[in-house]
Amino acid sequence: MLSVRDLYVSYGGIRALKGVSLEVNKGEIVTIIGANGAGKSTLLNTISGFLKPQKGEVLFNGLRLGRQPAKIVKAGICHVPEGRLVFANLTVHDNLVLGAYLRRDRKAIAEDLDKVYGLFPRLKERMRQPAGTLSGGEQQMLAMGRALMTNGDLVLMDEPSLGLAPLLVQTVFDIIEEIRGLGKTILLVEQNAFKALHVADRAYVLEQGRIVKEGRACDIANDPAVRDAYLGTKSKGGGGVA
Amino acid sequence: MNQLLQQLVNGLSIGSVYALMAVGYSLVYSIMNFSNFAHGGVIMLGAYFGFFGLTLLKLPFAAAFILASVGTAVLATLIERVAYKPLRDRKAPFLYFIISAMGASILLENVVIATIGPTFRTYPEIFAREPIALGSLAIGRLDLIMFFVSAFCLACLILFIDKTRIGKAIQASAYNMKACALMGVNTDLVVLIVFALGGFLAGIAGVFFGMKYTVYPQIGNITTKSFIAAVFGGLGSLPGAVIGSVLLGVIETLVAGYLSSQFRDLIAFVILIGVLIVRPTGIMGKTAEDKA
Repeated sequence: MLSVRDLYVSYGGIRALKGVSLEVNKGEIVTIIGANGAGKSTLLNTISGFLKPQKGEVLFNGLRLGRQPAKIVKAGICHVPEGRLVFANLTVHDNLVLGAYLRRDRKAIAEDLDKVYGLFPRLKERMRQPAGTLSGGEQQMLAMGRALMTNGDLVLMDEPSLGLAPLLVQTVFDIIEEIRGLGKTILLVEQNAFKALHVADRAYVLEQGRIVKEGRACDIANDPAVRDAYLGTKSKGGGGVA
Repeated sequence: MNQLLQQLVNGLSIGSVYALMAVGYSLVYSIMNFSNFAHGGVIMLGAYFGFFGLTLLKLPFAAAFILASVGTAVLATLIERVAYKPLRDRKAPFLYFIISAMGASILLENVVIATIGPTFRTYPEIFAREPIALGSLAIGRLDLIMFFVSAFCLACLILFIDKTRIGKAIQASAYNMKACALMGVNTDLVVLIVFALGGFLAGIAGVFFGMKYTVYPQIGNITTKSFIAAVFGGLGSLPGAVIGSVLLGVIETLVAGYLSSQFRDLIAFVILIGVLIVRPTGIMGKTAEDKA
């Protein structure tokens, strides 16, 4: 569905991606794990059209993507940005309706709205509240619901569990599986490698702008180097938090 | 008491024209986070467009009005394309935008001086001079029309921003342009629309200013007042810009009426400094933040 080929991207004068290639197939959850600054967000922002690659290309269903973010949304890629970026000044309902900005079919929009409220009953309770009054977890749900309203087939998620209470982190990963259940394909960028590998089918490990490992998520999770670097399950057990 | 009422009426009238200009500053600030100082130049050209529409082209009043406001809407979008879009594309720091805005403002003023000339011009008399008597109050016809046209335009603008799909996209862009693009909104178009709206209202304000005072290349300086009004109300907030403008208009006329008209301009700047010290976000400035 999505194929990224030999992508080179500079960001703020630094070469953030150095020849990244990856594939996402329909119906999959693919995760990209890596440390802070490895280039994960740069990759998603390039797919969404906010950054221009110096080299390489992104194909979606075999077609080259345009450069304008709005056209990429129209093509069927939606992006749940890091830090949620909900429109705090608008109501929950207006946030969701804006997700359907490019769509004209009122009936389908109303159905999707029901679907989103079904997935996130909390949002329905607060539909008339300004989004800025929601808790962090609720804002994450809103950001996801808003992306679903674009009706894109591929959902890019940038650090959905960032800054959430541990209990909510699990909820977010449950929701990711539910979103896949709606027939969506998901490309998930996460620092919480443990949870991400648990929910994903396949995984890529990104280090300093290069893919250093790829494979089935369960294999990656059992890879000794990955366990040491990202899962903190080293037998010496140094930095465990009691 | 009578004099107070009279000053209030005058203040409302002038305040409503300030509001037409102030919303232009506020709209642009809300989505681009800089003060578009070229706005004054656009208002000045609006006054000229209206003036030449009436005198050279001998247009009826309403047609001259439309010529002026459509002309300034086009001009404002042109300024955006030439002076700001290249900066936006390079994600330049906001200081560059302000410098570019000042450059555009100086350019407009000097182009007018070079082509049309620096002379003061007076609008032909459209409305009879003698005021309408309302009890013991005397209300100028122009003041009355200024008030109602401005109020009507502002009401339309607020409805547009609040109720339409594009209006919602403008509000969303004001909060976060990137997230808005992620909804499939063509944010470049949103920026153009915002400049066109601000420019349109600037044209109307320009014609009113030309009619009330005179037309000259530095008329844009008066718009400093509307900028102060926008800061007073809270830059980036439309209701704030309107409230700030009306308050400023009323305060100015009261000061002019009771103290001295010498103090009229002084008070505007005293308010500006006072607001910046006591409440930099203005009366209704945006403060809401999203939770990390």
